[in-house]
Amino acid sequence: MAETMVRLRGIHKRFGELEVLKGVDLDVGRGEVVCVLGPSGSGKSTLLRCVNLLEPPERGEIFLEGHDICKGPNSGTGEQSWELNFVRQRVGIVFQQFNLFPHRTALQNVTMAPEKVLGRSRAEARAKASELLERVGLGDKVDQYPERLSGGQQQRVAIARALAMDPHVMLFDEVTSALDPELVKEVLDTMRELASEGMTMIVVTHELGFAREVADRVVFMDGGVIVEQGPPAQVLDEPREERTKRFLGLVLDR
Amino acid sequence: MSEFFHQYFDFNYMGEHFWEVLEAFLQNVLIFTVVAVLALIWGLVLALLRQLPGKKFLPIRFLTIAYIDLFRAIPILIVILLISGGVPFLEFIPKEIRIPHWLGKPDPFWYGVVALMLVYGAFTAEVYRAGIEGVPGGQMEAARSLGMSHWQAMRNVVVPQAVTLIPAPMLNELISLLKDSTLVSVIAFGESVLISRELLAQSFNSSALTLTAIFFILIILPMARIVDKLIARNQGRIARGSHMEVA
Repeated sequence: MAETMVRLRGIHKRFGELEVLKGVDLDVGRGEVVCVLGPSGSGKSTLLRCVNLLEPPERGEIFLEGHDICKGPNSGTGEQSWELNFVRQRVGIVFQQFNLFPHRTALQNVTMAPEKVLGRSRAEARAKASELLERVGLGDKVDQYPERLSGGQQQRVAIARALAMDPHVMLFDEVTSALDPELVKEVLDTMRELASEGMTMIVVTHELGFAREVADRVVFMDGGVIVEQGPPAQVLDEPREERTKRFLGLVLDR
Repeated sequence: MSEFFHQYFDFNYMGEHFWEVLEAFLQNVLIFTVVAVLALIWGLVLALLRQLPGKKFLPIRFLTIAYIDLFRAIPILIVILLISGGVPFLEFIPKEIRIPHWLGKPDPFWYGVVALMLVYGAFTAEVYRAGIEGVPGGQMEAARSLGMSHWQAMRNVVVPQAVTLIPAPMLNELISLLKDSTLVSVIAFGESVLISRELLAQSFNSSALTLTAIFFILIILPMARIVDKLIARNQGRIARGSHMEVA
């Protein structure tokens, strides 16, 4: 496998009494696309949110491009720390609910962080943002406010916004789950293109078709652990584990 | 019945004492104005301190919450009486501060201002907090995920959205504040209620109190209508699926 971008070792996370992650190991190589499947409550979103320290794990290690990002005294306390800056500037995330800034236009959504965090000039940030919005097919929507955009368009702005920080890894947290069915394709196409350009991606999704076609590897989670993983064809068509079979049966039966 | 009208609605009496009562009422407006400015700032400071993230700031958060709870719980009248009765005797404080006569105003004015500011700072802090917490958590998460610090996210993302949620409830607090400015009468500051009661004591006629009430009504009714308008506007936004307008 290529250089390891993300290495998770023994990740544990609990919310109060509820143990959501019970020791997860996962390696993601540079340029690899990993799709994470699993029933709701399996811990897949939490795992994703651990990778950029939105949910700092209680135990376990996370290495990002070889750097241990969990060891800092402040990591995960919500305060600025070397680790947090290191992670947030290398890892982009796209959320199920888009979370665009409603008081800013599409373009301003994309330029805000590069200007405020990376200190880029307004002109430079705008040029790059226009280019990114063009790339996700929204070149004509730059001055629209989010409320004027469809869900699919909003989600593509959110992808452009994350890409504007030049991330090395992109995380996708059920990004099509809140969309009307006819809007899903445009978002998946954008992600497909990103994958073909060699972006390292961890994708939590229910889109089996996307996983089959785009993923280099599929990971199936249940009950806070990885049940099985492998190439899409193997996990989706010839699952070894009973739990995977049952889940796929339920999803495909729809 | 005519007895009653003579006691409370003697328009001749009101006319005779109109300017006296109006001048006293303007003292209420003055207290209100000074306290509103101070409390809006102090409340914002408290609200932001309360939002500080992480373990490091736990003591500050705890103290802030304790302050807010305390001053929301103590009746304002008691705060006024304790401050005016206690501060003058704190001898470690320089005399100019513990018995202030700044800007030509007597010390009861300033005790009242400080007491109301301490209490209303706690109330306005809660309004700010409701505004900040009314912004969906995903906004802060998205901003932080893009590498912004807590303060950058607050300033650029959360506060600009929170301010649109704040005006209506804040105006309600300010209406209460204007009315509570009459409480300063208990420490012998010559505002409208004190003056009206002095007139009552002299003439056994209550119409000055009625006149004072009319002044309050005249100034507060428009404020109440503005509150209604603001609420209607916010509901319009929610109906349109957004609580934002063009920034």
